[in-house]
Amino acid sequence: MKKFDLIKLPFNKENPITVQVLGICSCLAVTAQLKPAVVMAISVTVVVALANLIISLLRNTIPPRIRIIVQLVIVSTLVILVNQVLMAFVYDVSKQLSVYVGLIITNCIVMGRLEAFAMTNKPLDSLLDGIGNGLGYGIILVILGFVRELFGRGTLWGYPIIEKLGLYNIGYENNGFIIMAPMALILVGIIIWIQRSHDKELQEK
Amino acid sequence: MKHFSNKYMLFYALGLAAVVALVLTLVATSLKPRQDKNREVETKQMILKTIGIEATRNNAENLYAENIKETTTANGLPLYKFKLGIIIPLNGNGLWGPIWGYMAIDDGGSVVGAVFDHQGETPGLGAEIATDKFAMRFIGKEMTERPIVLKKNADKDNPYEVDAISGGTMTSNGVTEMLAKAFELYCDEIPKVEDCEAISKLLMEEEQ
Repeated sequence: MKKFDLIKLPFNKENPITVQVLGICSCLAVTAQLKPAVVMAISVTVVVALANLIISLLRNTIPPRIRIIVQLVIVSTLVILVNQVLMAFVYDVSKQLSVYVGLIITNCIVMGRLEAFAMTNKPLDSLLDGIGNGLGYGIILVILGFVRELFGRGTLWGYPIIEKLGLYNIGYENNGFIIMAPMALILVGIIIWIQRSHDKELQEK
Repeated sequence: MKHFSNKYMLFYALGLAAVVALVLTLVATSLKPRQDKNREVETKQMILKTIGIEATRNNAENLYAENIKETTTANGLPLYKFKLGIIIPLNGNGLWGPIWGYMAIDDGGSVVGAVFDHQGETPGLGAEIATDKFAMRFIGKEMTERPIVLKKNADKDNPYEVDAISGGTMTSNGVTEMLAKAFELYCDEIPKVEDCEAISKLLMEEEQ
């Protein structure tokens, strides 16, 4: 496989959320607004990339029967380290991240990529695969965060865009339902629908 | 598949645990002083914010020293004073973990400002209590006859009601409880409160 494909494929044909259907839980939880969605996307990318790299470096020494535990320990350690460093040096950012950092450990994408890719591939490829999957996950999060914040709250990145456009004066109202988690799932469904009707290869027989 | 003996696995697991534990301990202890300092400065920033002073991380300590006096109540509870009145600390529980905050009340008994924070409330829902938009709702409200209550469609003219957070009902209830607790603990210190015992009796009856 070409190196560039490792980064490119997760955006479309191998997207972690819409095709691999991993990481759904966190994508419902953090996309009520755009900002947390972006912060989560960046953090997951960093953790998947680093975990992939470390596991790939260790892959020949890890006994298969305890590999899941080993992976978990590495992921948790990375997440705790990232959190500690953030708390010490960029406290404000760490406050924003607080809940999401914990969520990263349980994000299926991380374990999924470690199992499916890093255990059997070279370190550089694994690093690229981690970056690709993190970003592929991130792009869906950002789309959801954008739609949900705009139509649910009438703001974008906290900026009251609908109010500034004067839409409230002509009778527009925010749809509070979009902020609820079930709506995120419906939106993911719609994205999957669009993607599959566009790309015939993804349709199951 | 390569074969690994039980002994190898055992020592691999032990070795990994030891390395990880060592790294985490080193990092945690070496960064702790910085983190504690950050938290302390943050508390000072929060307290300053209740009286309308937006301090940065750099000038928070100086501004705090100039504007706030730390004292304690007759019962030994922490209490902060500023030139127009008092600031009371708030502590309670949200949906997922602790929530806390500070509220400044002037000598006339009305709320000058409030700040809230939380450890792990749901982002976009309960976590909204930490926003300025939410805190602003408390300005001008009162804690003289009863604690402030968070409710749906609160009456804007009622000084004891504040709009709750939509989608964050459990956290909002936590804030209501936190305010009730603080009112009880600090009743004697809050300006313009006439008879604490009579009020608490009245509130108990209402509950029933």
